[in-house]
Amino acid sequence: MLKRIIKNFGPEWGAAVMGTAALCITMQLSSEVSRPFSPLLYVGLGFFLLTTVIFILFLIPWTLRFFMYPEEIRKDLKNPVRGNFFPTIPISFILAGTGMNKLGPMLFGPWLSYHLSIIFFFLGAAGIFTFGYILTRIQFLHREIHLEHANFSWFIPPVSHLIIPVLGACSMDVYWAQTSLAPVIFMISMIALGVGFFNFLFVGAAVWHRYIYHTIPQGRLAPTVMVGIAPTAIVVVFLIKFTEAIEASHGSLFGINFVSVFPLIKIIASIFWGFSFWWLILAVILLTHYVKIKDHPLEFGWWAYTFPLEAFVVATGLLAKSVAYQLLYPVLITLNVLAVIVWVTVVFGTVKWLERGAFFSAQH
Amino acid sequence: MKFRSITVALTITLIPFIIGVALFLKKGDQELPRKTRFMTDTGENNKGAVYKGIKIDWAFCPSWEYQPLFFRSEEYFVFVFHYTNSNNEDVYLMPSYSFASSGNRRYSANEEIAMYIEDGIENQLKIQDQTPMNFKISPNSVKHYLVAFEKPPAITAFTVDVDIFRDVTLRLYYKKEGQIWVHDKNEFVNNYNGRG
Repeated sequence: MLKRIIKNFGPEWGAAVMGTAALCITMQLSSEVSRPFSPLLYVGLGFFLLTTVIFILFLIPWTLRFFMYPEEIRKDLKNPVRGNFFPTIPISFILAGTGMNKLGPMLFGPWLSYHLSIIFFFLGAAGIFTFGYILTRIQFLHREIHLEHANFSWFIPPVSHLIIPVLGACSMDVYWAQTSLAPVIFMISMIALGVGFFNFLFVGAAVWHRYIYHTIPQGRLAPTVMVGIAPTAIVVVFLIKFTEAIEASHGSLFGINFVSVFPLIKIIASIFWGFSFWWLILAVILLTHYVKIKDHPLEFGWWAYTFPLEAFVVATGLLAKSVAYQLLYPVLITLNVLAVIVWVTVVFGTVKWLERGAFFSAQH
Repeated sequence: MKFRSITVALTITLIPFIIGVALFLKKGDQELPRKTRFMTDTGENNKGAVYKGIKIDWAFCPSWEYQPLFFRSEEYFVFVFHYTNSNNEDVYLMPSYSFASSGNRRYSANEEIAMYIEDGIENQLKIQDQTPMNFKISPNSVKHYLVAFEKPPAITAFTVDVDIFRDVTLRLYYKKEGQIWVHDKNEFVNNYNGRG
Protein backbone atom coordinates (compact mmCIF):
# COMPACT_ATOMS: atom_id res chain seq x y z
CA MET A 1 0.00 0.00 0.00
CA LEU A 2 2.82 2.37 0.96
CA LYS A 3 4.55 1.70 -2.37
CA ARG A 4 1.38 2.59 -4.28
CA ILE A 5 1.02 5.80 -2.30
CA ILE A 6 4.63 6.74 -3.05
CA LYS A 7 4.23 5.86 -6.74
CA ASN A 8 1.15 8.04 -7.11
CA PHE A 9 2.19 10.81 -4.77
CA GLY A 10 2.00 13.68 -7.24
CA PRO A 11 4.08 16.85 -7.02
CA GLU A 12 0.93 18.89 -6.40
CA TRP A 13 0.64 17.83 -2.74
CA GLY A 14 2.99 20.62 -1.79
CA ALA A 15 0.15 23.02 -2.63
CA ALA A 16 -1.71 21.71 0.43
CA VAL A 17 1.30 22.53 2.62
CA MET A 18 1.49 25.99 1.08
CA GLY A 19 -2.22 26.62 1.57
CA THR A 20 -1.99 25.66 5.24
CA ALA A 21 1.36 27.28 6.01
CA ALA A 22 0.40 30.78 4.91
CA LEU A 23 -2.54 30.77 7.33
CA CYS A 24 -0.18 30.87 10.29
CA ILE A 25 1.13 34.22 9.01
CA THR A 26 -2.33 35.61 8.20
CA MET A 27 -3.41 34.73 11.75
CA GLN A 28 -0.31 36.30 13.26
CA LEU A 29 -0.89 39.54 11.34
CA SER A 30 -4.59 39.60 12.22
CA SER A 31 -3.72 39.13 15.90
CA GLU A 32 -1.88 42.45 15.80
CA VAL A 33 -4.91 44.48 14.71
CA SER A 34 -6.30 44.98 18.21
CA ARG A 35 -6.59 43.30 21.58
CA PRO A 36 -9.70 41.17 20.92
CA PHE A 37 -7.87 39.48 18.05
CA SER A 38 -4.75 38.53 20.03
CA PRO A 39 -5.87 34.86 20.51
CA LEU A 40 -5.38 34.52 16.73
CA LEU A 41 -1.64 34.47 17.38
CA TYR A 42 -2.12 31.11 19.09
CA VAL A 43 -4.44 29.88 16.35
CA GLY A 44 -1.59 30.80 14.00
CA LEU A 45 0.68 28.63 16.11
CA GLY A 46 -1.88 25.84 15.73
CA PHE A 47 -1.69 26.23 11.94
CA PHE A 48 2.10 26.25 12.14
CA LEU A 49 2.13 22.95 14.05
CA LEU A 50 -0.39 21.41 11.62
CA THR A 51 1.75 22.60 8.70
CA THR A 52 4.85 21.06 10.24
CA VAL A 53 3.12 17.70 10.60
CA ILE A 54 1.70 17.58 7.06
CA PHE A 55 4.94 18.94 5.59
CA ILE A 56 6.93 16.10 7.15
CA LEU A 57 4.26 13.57 6.15
CA PHE A 58 4.30 14.77 2.53
CA LEU A 59 8.06 15.30 2.27
CA ILE A 60 8.77 11.61 2.92
CA PRO A 61 6.82 10.09 -0.03
CA TRP A 62 7.70 13.10 -2.23
CA THR A 63 11.42 12.46 -1.67
CA LEU A 64 11.23 8.66 -1.82
CA ARG A 65 9.44 8.86 -5.18
CA PHE A 66 12.56 10.37 -6.78
CA PHE A 67 14.58 7.27 -5.84
CA MET A 68 11.92 4.56 -6.12
CA TYR A 69 10.00 5.72 -9.21
CA PRO A 70 12.22 8.01 -11.30
CA GLU A 71 10.23 7.13 -14.45
CA GLU A 72 7.07 8.51 -12.79
CA ILE A 73 8.97 11.67 -11.90
CA ARG A 74 10.12 12.08 -15.51
CA LYS A 75 6.55 11.57 -16.73
CA ASP A 76 5.22 14.19 -14.30
CA LEU A 77 7.98 16.68 -15.12
CA LYS A 78 6.95 16.57 -18.78
CA ASN A 79 3.27 17.04 -18.00
CA PRO A 80 2.38 20.67 -18.88
CA VAL A 81 0.15 20.97 -15.81
CA ARG A 82 1.45 18.59 -13.14
CA GLY A 83 5.11 19.38 -13.80
CA ASN A 84 4.63 22.94 -12.67
CA PHE A 85 3.77 21.77 -9.17
CA PHE A 86 7.21 20.28 -8.39
CA PRO A 87 8.47 23.52 -6.85
CA THR A 88 5.60 23.50 -4.33
CA ILE A 89 7.67 21.46 -1.87
CA PRO A 90 10.72 23.81 -2.08
CA ILE A 91 8.26 26.72 -1.71
CA SER A 92 6.93 24.94 1.37
CA PHE A 93 10.47 25.00 2.79
CA ILE A 94 10.49 28.78 2.39
CA LEU A 95 7.03 29.08 3.95
CA ALA A 96 7.98 26.75 6.81
CA GLY A 97 11.09 28.90 7.29
CA THR A 98 8.97 32.05 7.36
CA GLY A 99 6.60 30.45 9.88
CA MET A 100 9.63 29.37 11.91
CA ASN A 101 10.97 32.93 11.79
CA LYS A 102 7.69 34.48 12.92
CA LEU A 103 6.21 31.85 15.27
CA GLY A 104 9.11 29.49 15.95
CA PRO A 105 10.45 31.62 18.84
CA MET A 106 7.20 30.82 20.71
CA LEU A 107 8.12 27.15 20.53
CA PHE A 108 11.90 26.97 20.59
CA GLY A 109 13.12 30.46 21.48
CA PRO A 110 14.80 32.81 18.97
CA TRP A 111 18.21 31.16 18.57
CA LEU A 112 17.05 27.73 17.38
CA SER A 113 14.17 29.17 15.36
CA TYR A 114 16.32 31.61 13.40
CA HIS A 115 18.90 28.91 12.68
CA LEU A 116 16.27 26.42 11.47
CA SER A 117 14.69 29.20 9.45
CA ILE A 118 17.92 29.97 7.62
CA ILE A 119 18.49 26.27 6.86
CA PHE A 120 15.00 26.18 5.30
CA PHE A 121 15.93 29.31 3.33
CA PHE A 122 18.89 27.63 1.67
CA LEU A 123 17.06 24.31 1.08
CA GLY A 124 14.04 26.09 -0.37
CA ALA A 125 16.11 28.43 -2.54
CA ALA A 126 18.18 25.53 -3.91
CA GLY A 127 15.01 23.58 -4.76
CA ILE A 128 13.24 26.52 -6.38
CA PHE A 129 16.23 27.44 -8.55
CA THR A 130 16.80 23.79 -9.53
CA PHE A 131 13.18 23.11 -10.52
CA GLY A 132 13.00 26.52 -12.17
CA TYR A 133 15.82 25.56 -14.53
CA ILE A 134 14.61 21.97 -15.09
CA LEU A 135 11.03 22.95 -15.88
CA THR A 136 11.95 25.94 -18.05
CA ARG A 137 14.33 23.71 -20.02
CA ILE A 138 11.59 21.10 -20.49
CA GLN A 139 9.12 23.78 -21.53
CA PHE A 140 11.54 25.27 -24.08
CA LEU A 141 12.60 21.92 -25.58
CA HIS A 142 9.22 20.14 -25.40
CA ARG A 143 7.65 19.64 -28.82
CA GLU A 144 4.18 18.80 -27.58
CA ILE A 145 3.30 21.99 -25.71
CA HIS A 146 0.60 23.96 -27.48
CA LEU A 147 -1.37 27.11 -26.85
CA GLU A 148 -4.20 25.16 -25.18
CA HIS A 149 -1.81 23.95 -22.48
CA ALA A 150 -1.12 27.45 -21.19
CA ASN A 151 -2.60 28.12 -17.77
CA PHE A 152 -1.64 30.17 -14.73
CA SER A 153 -0.01 27.23 -12.96
CA TRP A 154 2.83 28.03 -15.38
CA PHE A 155 3.62 30.83 -13.00
CA ILE A 156 4.72 28.41 -10.31
CA PRO A 157 8.21 27.30 -11.47
CA PRO A 158 9.70 30.65 -12.51
CA VAL A 159 7.62 33.05 -10.45
CA SER A 160 8.04 31.02 -7.24
CA HIS A 161 11.50 32.61 -7.07
CA LEU A 162 9.70 35.68 -5.70
CA ILE A 163 9.02 33.89 -2.42
CA ILE A 164 12.77 33.49 -1.71
CA PRO A 165 13.42 37.18 -0.90
CA VAL A 166 10.47 37.18 1.52
CA LEU A 167 12.28 34.82 3.87
CA GLY A 168 15.55 36.54 2.95
CA ALA A 169 14.18 39.88 4.15
CA CYS A 170 12.67 38.28 7.29
CA SER A 171 16.06 36.76 8.08
CA MET A 172 17.86 40.06 7.59
CA ASP A 173 15.27 41.78 9.74
CA VAL A 174 16.67 40.82 13.12
CA TYR A 175 18.99 37.96 13.69
CA TRP A 176 21.15 37.73 10.61
CA ALA A 177 21.40 41.49 9.96
CA GLN A 178 25.02 42.62 10.12
CA THR A 179 26.41 39.09 10.16
CA SER A 180 28.68 37.73 7.43
CA LEU A 181 25.70 35.74 6.14
CA ALA A 182 23.69 38.90 5.44
CA PRO A 183 25.35 39.74 2.06
CA VAL A 184 24.83 36.14 0.89
CA ILE A 185 21.14 36.23 1.85
CA PHE A 186 20.81 39.65 0.23
CA MET A 187 22.35 38.61 -3.09
CA ILE A 188 20.39 35.34 -3.33
CA SER A 189 17.23 37.30 -2.55
CA MET A 190 17.94 39.97 -5.17
CA ILE A 191 18.75 37.40 -7.87
CA ALA A 192 15.55 35.50 -7.05
CA LEU A 193 13.55 38.73 -7.12
CA GLY A 194 14.86 39.54 -10.61
CA VAL A 195 14.17 36.02 -11.91
CA GLY A 196 10.69 35.94 -10.40
CA PHE A 197 9.62 39.41 -11.42
CA PHE A 198 10.69 39.25 -15.07
CA ASN A 199 9.33 35.74 -15.50
CA PHE A 200 6.04 36.98 -14.07
CA LEU A 201 5.89 39.46 -16.95
CA PHE A 202 7.00 36.97 -19.63
CA VAL A 203 4.99 33.93 -18.53
CA GLY A 204 1.99 36.08 -17.65
CA ALA A 205 1.99 37.46 -21.18
CA ALA A 206 2.13 33.94 -22.67
CA VAL A 207 -0.83 32.71 -20.60
CA TRP A 208 -2.75 35.94 -21.17
CA HIS A 209 -2.28 35.30 -24.91
CA ARG A 210 -4.04 31.94 -24.57
CA TYR A 211 -6.92 33.44 -22.59
CA ILE A 212 -7.54 36.01 -25.32
CA TYR A 213 -6.77 34.14 -28.54
CA HIS A 214 -7.85 30.64 -27.54
CA THR A 215 -10.55 29.12 -25.34
CA ILE A 216 -10.13 29.48 -21.60
CA PRO A 217 -8.97 26.29 -19.80
CA GLN A 218 -11.46 23.57 -18.92
CA GLY A 219 -13.11 23.65 -15.51
CA ARG A 220 -10.62 21.38 -13.74
CA LEU A 221 -8.00 24.07 -14.33
CA ALA A 222 -10.29 26.91 -13.29
CA PRO A 223 -8.61 27.40 -9.87
CA THR A 224 -5.25 28.09 -11.54
CA VAL A 225 -6.45 31.60 -12.39
CA MET A 226 -6.12 32.39 -8.67
CA VAL A 227 -2.37 31.88 -8.95
CA GLY A 228 -2.25 35.25 -10.72
CA ILE A 229 -2.94 37.02 -7.43
CA ALA A 230 0.17 35.66 -5.78
CA PRO A 231 3.16 37.24 -7.61
CA THR A 232 2.33 40.88 -6.96
CA ALA A 233 1.05 40.09 -3.46
CA ILE A 234 4.36 38.39 -2.69
CA VAL A 235 6.26 41.40 -4.01
CA VAL A 236 4.28 43.58 -1.58
CA VAL A 237 5.23 41.23 1.27
CA PHE A 238 8.86 41.39 0.22
CA LEU A 239 8.90 45.18 -0.09
CA ILE A 240 7.50 45.74 3.40
CA LYS A 241 9.74 43.11 4.98
CA PHE A 242 12.67 44.61 3.09
CA THR A 243 11.85 48.01 4.60
CA GLU A 244 12.00 46.42 8.03
CA ALA A 245 15.32 44.79 7.16
CA ILE A 246 16.67 48.18 6.09
CA GLU A 247 15.51 49.67 9.37
CA ALA A 248 17.28 46.86 11.20
CA SER A 249 20.45 47.94 9.40
CA HIS A 250 19.97 51.61 10.34
CA GLY A 251 18.79 52.75 6.94
CA SER A 252 21.52 51.36 4.77
CA LEU A 253 22.43 47.94 3.49
CA PHE A 254 25.88 47.21 2.07
CA GLY A 255 26.62 50.88 1.56
CA ILE A 256 23.34 51.60 -0.21
CA ASN A 257 21.33 54.28 1.59
CA PHE A 258 17.69 53.23 1.39
CA VAL A 259 16.05 55.69 3.78
CA SER A 260 15.25 58.15 1.01
CA VAL A 261 13.38 55.50 -1.00
CA PHE A 262 11.05 54.43 1.84
CA PRO A 263 8.15 56.55 0.53
CA LEU A 264 8.71 55.19 -3.00
CA ILE A 265 8.71 51.61 -1.68
CA LYS A 266 5.37 52.25 0.03
CA ILE A 267 3.86 53.68 -3.15
CA ILE A 268 5.12 50.76 -5.26
CA ALA A 269 3.83 48.29 -2.66
CA SER A 270 0.40 49.95 -2.79
CA ILE A 271 0.34 49.76 -6.61
CA PHE A 272 1.26 46.06 -6.57
CA TRP A 273 -1.36 45.38 -3.88
CA GLY A 274 -3.89 47.09 -6.13
CA PHE A 275 -3.04 44.75 -9.00
CA SER A 276 -3.55 41.69 -6.77
CA PHE A 277 -6.87 43.11 -5.61
CA TRP A 278 -7.95 43.63 -9.22
CA TRP A 279 -6.94 40.07 -10.05
CA LEU A 280 -8.92 38.73 -7.09
CA ILE A 281 -12.07 40.28 -8.55
CA LEU A 282 -11.14 38.91 -11.98
CA ALA A 283 -10.74 35.43 -10.47
CA VAL A 284 -14.20 35.72 -8.87
CA ILE A 285 -15.69 36.76 -12.23
CA LEU A 286 -14.11 33.76 -13.98
CA LEU A 287 -15.12 31.41 -11.15
CA THR A 288 -18.71 32.64 -11.52
CA HIS A 289 -18.50 31.83 -15.23
CA TYR A 290 -17.29 28.27 -14.58
CA VAL A 291 -19.98 27.69 -11.95
CA LYS A 292 -22.63 29.09 -14.26
CA ILE A 293 -21.69 26.71 -17.08
CA LYS A 294 -21.49 23.87 -14.50
CA ASP A 295 -17.85 23.17 -15.29
CA HIS A 296 -16.13 23.36 -11.92
CA PRO A 297 -15.45 19.77 -10.82
CA LEU A 298 -14.02 18.81 -7.45
CA GLU A 299 -10.28 18.39 -7.98
CA PHE A 300 -7.12 18.55 -5.95
CA GLY A 301 -6.42 21.72 -7.91
CA TRP A 302 -8.83 23.56 -5.59
CA TRP A 303 -5.79 24.11 -3.39
CA ALA A 304 -4.88 26.82 -5.90
CA TYR A 305 -7.63 28.86 -4.25
CA THR A 306 -5.85 28.88 -0.89
CA PHE A 307 -2.26 30.09 -1.05
CA PRO A 308 -2.71 33.01 -3.50
CA LEU A 309 -5.60 34.36 -1.42
CA GLU A 310 -3.57 33.94 1.78
CA ALA A 311 -0.57 35.66 0.18
CA PHE A 312 -2.89 38.56 -0.57
CA VAL A 313 -4.08 38.57 3.06
CA VAL A 314 -0.45 38.72 4.24
CA ALA A 315 0.24 41.54 1.77
CA THR A 316 -2.77 43.42 3.14
CA GLY A 317 -1.64 42.94 6.74
CA LEU A 318 1.88 44.14 6.04
CA LEU A 319 0.80 47.05 3.87
CA ALA A 320 -1.53 48.12 6.68
CA LYS A 321 1.52 48.55 8.87
CA SER A 322 2.86 51.28 6.66
CA VAL A 323 -0.08 52.89 4.83
CA ALA A 324 -3.80 53.46 5.42
CA TYR A 325 -4.17 51.09 8.35
CA GLN A 326 -7.64 52.45 9.22
CA LEU A 327 -8.83 51.21 5.82
CA LEU A 328 -6.72 48.08 5.50
CA TYR A 329 -7.15 46.54 8.96
CA PRO A 330 -10.88 45.81 8.45
CA VAL A 331 -10.01 44.46 4.98
CA LEU A 332 -7.36 42.24 6.59
CA ILE A 333 -9.78 40.76 9.10
CA THR A 334 -12.47 40.19 6.45
CA LEU A 335 -10.00 38.54 4.06
CA ASN A 336 -8.58 36.40 6.85
CA VAL A 337 -12.05 35.05 7.61
CA LEU A 338 -12.56 34.42 3.89
CA ALA A 339 -9.19 32.61 3.69
CA VAL A 340 -10.20 30.32 6.55
CA ILE A 341 -13.56 29.56 4.92
CA VAL A 342 -11.82 28.74 1.64
CA TRP A 343 -9.26 26.55 3.43
CA VAL A 344 -11.95 24.62 5.33
CA THR A 345 -13.93 24.13 2.10
CA VAL A 346 -10.85 22.88 0.27
CA VAL A 347 -9.90 20.48 3.09
CA PHE A 348 -13.41 18.99 3.00
CA GLY A 349 -13.24 18.89 -0.81
CA THR A 350 -9.87 17.14 -0.74
CA VAL A 351 -11.05 14.49 1.72
CA LYS A 352 -14.10 13.89 -0.47
CA TRP A 353 -11.84 13.72 -3.52
CA LEU A 354 -9.68 11.15 -1.72
CA GLU A 355 -12.74 8.91 -1.36
CA ARG A 356 -12.17 8.12 -5.05
CA GLY A 357 -8.91 6.46 -3.99
CA ALA A 358 -6.65 9.16 -5.34
CA PHE A 359 -3.84 8.06 -3.03
CA PHE A 360 -3.66 4.73 -4.81
CA SER A 361 -4.12 5.64 -8.45
CA ALA A 362 -3.05 8.67 -10.43
CA GLN A 363 -6.30 10.62 -10.74
CA HIS A 364 -4.74 14.02 -10.37
CA MET B 1 -19.56 12.38 1.57
CA LYS B 2 -18.95 9.41 3.88
CA PHE B 3 -19.27 9.86 7.64
CA ARG B 4 -15.64 8.79 8.10
CA SER B 5 -14.49 11.44 5.61
CA ILE B 6 -16.51 14.12 7.39
CA THR B 7 -14.87 13.13 10.70
CA VAL B 8 -11.38 13.28 9.15
CA ALA B 9 -12.01 16.67 7.53
CA LEU B 10 -13.54 18.08 10.71
CA THR B 11 -10.57 16.88 12.75
CA ILE B 12 -8.05 18.45 10.37
CA THR B 13 -9.85 21.78 10.23
CA LEU B 14 -10.47 21.99 13.97
CA ILE B 15 -6.93 21.05 15.06
CA PRO B 16 -5.39 24.57 14.66
CA PHE B 17 -8.28 26.21 16.48
CA ILE B 18 -8.30 23.71 19.36
CA ILE B 19 -4.52 24.04 19.76
CA GLY B 20 -4.84 27.81 19.55
CA VAL B 21 -7.54 28.11 22.18
CA ALA B 22 -5.74 25.66 24.50
CA LEU B 23 -2.46 27.55 24.23
CA PHE B 24 -4.13 30.92 24.65
CA LEU B 25 -5.91 29.79 27.81
CA LYS B 26 -2.74 28.19 29.18
CA LYS B 27 -0.67 31.34 28.56
CA GLY B 28 -3.41 33.54 29.96
CA ASP B 29 -3.50 31.58 33.20
CA GLN B 30 0.23 31.91 33.80
CA GLU B 31 1.28 34.39 36.45
CA LEU B 32 4.14 36.63 35.34
CA PRO B 33 7.41 35.94 37.21
CA ARG B 34 8.17 38.41 40.00
CA LYS B 35 11.17 39.93 38.21
CA THR B 36 9.10 40.55 35.09
CA ARG B 37 8.27 44.05 36.21
CA PHE B 38 9.03 47.48 34.85
CA MET B 39 11.64 49.11 37.09
CA THR B 40 11.68 52.64 35.79
CA ASP B 41 9.61 55.01 33.73
CA THR B 42 11.21 58.29 32.71
CA GLY B 43 7.75 59.84 32.55
CA GLU B 44 7.51 59.62 36.32
CA ASN B 45 10.54 61.80 37.07
CA ASN B 46 10.57 63.82 33.86
CA LYS B 47 13.84 62.28 32.60
CA GLY B 48 12.77 61.72 29.02
CA ALA B 49 13.89 63.65 25.95
CA VAL B 50 12.22 66.29 23.81
CA TYR B 51 12.96 67.06 20.16
CA LYS B 52 10.92 69.07 17.67
CA GLY B 53 7.91 69.07 19.94
CA ILE B 54 7.92 65.29 20.44
CA LYS B 55 8.41 64.19 24.03
CA ILE B 56 9.89 60.74 24.35
CA ASP B 57 9.57 58.79 27.59
CA TRP B 58 10.15 55.13 28.21
CA ALA B 59 9.54 52.43 30.75
CA PHE B 60 12.26 49.81 31.14
CA CYS B 61 12.21 46.22 32.35
CA PRO B 62 15.72 44.67 32.49
CA SER B 63 14.63 41.05 32.88
CA TRP B 64 11.38 40.24 31.18
CA GLU B 65 11.20 36.46 31.17
CA TYR B 66 9.63 34.67 28.24
CA GLN B 67 9.08 30.92 28.27
CA PRO B 68 8.82 29.24 24.84
CA LEU B 69 6.66 26.11 24.79
CA PHE B 70 9.43 23.57 24.21
CA PHE B 71 12.49 25.42 25.45
CA ARG B 72 13.98 27.05 28.52
CA SER B 73 12.92 30.57 29.39
CA GLU B 74 15.08 33.54 28.44
CA GLU B 75 15.28 37.08 29.70
CA TYR B 76 14.86 40.16 27.52
CA PHE B 77 15.42 43.85 27.88
CA VAL B 78 12.01 45.40 27.31
CA PHE B 79 11.23 49.04 26.70
CA VAL B 80 7.89 50.72 26.22
CA PHE B 81 8.32 54.08 24.55
CA HIS B 82 5.69 56.78 25.00
CA TYR B 83 5.59 59.48 22.34
CA THR B 84 3.71 62.68 23.14
CA ASN B 85 3.08 65.23 20.42
CA SER B 86 3.08 68.78 21.73
CA ASN B 87 3.00 70.36 18.25
CA ASN B 88 -0.12 71.98 16.87
CA GLU B 89 -0.33 69.57 13.96
CA ASP B 90 -0.30 65.79 13.43
CA VAL B 91 3.07 64.10 13.22
CA TYR B 92 3.90 60.77 11.60
CA LEU B 93 6.56 58.68 13.27
CA MET B 94 8.36 55.67 11.89
CA PRO B 95 10.57 54.58 14.74
CA SER B 96 13.16 51.81 14.68
CA TYR B 97 15.38 50.64 17.50
CA SER B 98 18.79 49.03 17.81
CA PHE B 99 20.81 47.70 20.67
CA ALA B 100 24.60 47.80 21.08
CA SER B 101 26.94 46.61 23.79
CA SER B 102 30.69 46.15 24.06
CA GLY B 103 31.94 42.84 22.76
CA ASN B 104 28.62 42.09 21.14
CA ARG B 105 27.33 42.92 17.72
CA ARG B 106 24.73 45.55 17.21
CA TYR B 107 21.24 44.25 16.56
CA SER B 108 17.72 45.48 16.19
CA ALA B 109 14.62 44.93 18.28
CA ASN B 110 12.98 41.52 18.14
CA GLU B 111 9.46 42.15 16.92
CA GLU B 112 8.39 38.53 17.38
CA ILE B 113 9.17 38.47 21.09
CA ALA B 114 7.54 41.90 21.47
CA MET B 115 4.41 40.48 19.86
CA TYR B 116 4.28 37.45 22.17
CA ILE B 117 4.65 39.45 25.38
CA GLU B 118 2.40 42.31 24.33
CA ASP B 119 -0.63 41.32 26.39
CA GLY B 120 1.36 40.94 29.63
CA ILE B 121 2.92 44.36 29.22
CA GLU B 122 -0.35 46.04 28.33
CA ASN B 123 -1.95 44.57 31.45
CA GLN B 124 0.87 45.71 33.67
CA LEU B 125 1.26 49.25 32.35
CA LYS B 126 -2.44 49.76 31.55
CA ILE B 127 -1.59 51.01 28.07
CA GLN B 128 -2.31 49.86 24.56
CA ASP B 129 0.63 49.03 22.36
CA GLN B 130 0.41 50.66 18.92
CA THR B 131 3.34 49.42 16.93
CA PRO B 132 2.76 49.64 13.20
CA MET B 133 5.78 50.77 11.20
CA ASN B 134 4.55 54.33 11.17
CA PHE B 135 1.78 56.00 13.00
CA LYS B 136 0.05 59.33 13.30
CA ILE B 137 0.07 61.20 16.59
CA SER B 138 -2.47 63.94 16.93
CA PRO B 139 -1.62 67.11 18.89
CA ASN B 140 -1.39 66.58 22.66
CA SER B 141 -1.93 62.85 22.42
CA VAL B 142 0.37 59.98 23.36
CA LYS B 143 1.16 56.68 21.65
CA HIS B 144 3.05 53.68 22.95
CA TYR B 145 5.57 51.44 21.24
CA LEU B 146 6.80 48.17 22.68
CA VAL B 147 10.39 47.04 22.06
CA ALA B 148 12.17 43.83 23.14
CA PHE B 149 15.88 43.10 22.80
CA GLU B 150 17.64 39.81 23.30
CA LYS B 151 19.81 40.05 26.40
CA PRO B 152 23.47 39.18 25.89
CA PRO B 153 25.12 37.44 28.85
CA ALA B 154 27.68 39.16 31.07
CA ILE B 155 27.47 42.75 29.91
CA THR B 156 27.81 45.77 32.16
CA ALA B 157 26.67 48.53 29.82
CA PHE B 158 24.63 48.97 26.68
CA THR B 159 23.11 51.63 24.48
CA VAL B 160 19.81 51.76 22.63
CA ASP B 161 19.45 53.88 19.50
CA VAL B 162 15.96 55.23 18.89
CA ASP B 163 15.66 56.27 15.24
CA ILE B 164 12.68 58.54 14.89
CA PHE B 165 13.92 61.70 13.25
CA ARG B 166 15.63 62.15 9.91
CA ASP B 167 18.54 64.17 11.27
CA VAL B 168 19.23 62.80 14.75
CA THR B 169 19.12 59.55 16.69
CA LEU B 170 18.25 59.44 20.36
CA ARG B 171 20.84 57.28 22.16
CA LEU B 172 20.06 55.91 25.61
CA TYR B 173 22.91 54.78 27.86
CA TYR B 174 22.45 52.11 30.51
CA LYS B 175 25.03 50.68 32.91
CA LYS B 176 24.95 48.04 35.60
CA GLU B 177 25.54 49.12 39.19
CA GLY B 178 25.70 46.03 41.35
CA GLN B 179 22.76 43.98 40.18
CA ILE B 180 20.71 46.95 39.03
CA TRP B 181 20.54 48.49 35.57
CA VAL B 182 20.73 52.25 35.81
CA HIS B 183 19.79 54.78 33.15
CA ASP B 184 23.02 56.73 32.82
CA LYS B 185 22.25 59.46 30.26
CA ASN B 186 20.71 60.24 26.85
CA GLU B 187 22.07 62.16 23.92
CA PHE B 188 21.01 63.13 20.44
CA VAL B 189 23.51 61.86 17.87
CA ASN B 190 23.65 63.45 14.42
CA ASN B 191 22.83 61.06 11.61
CA TYR B 192 25.12 60.78 8.62
CA ASN B 193 23.20 61.17 5.39
CA GLY B 194 25.59 59.84 2.79
CA ARG B 195 25.22 59.60 -0.97
CA GLY B 196 25.20 55.78 -1.10
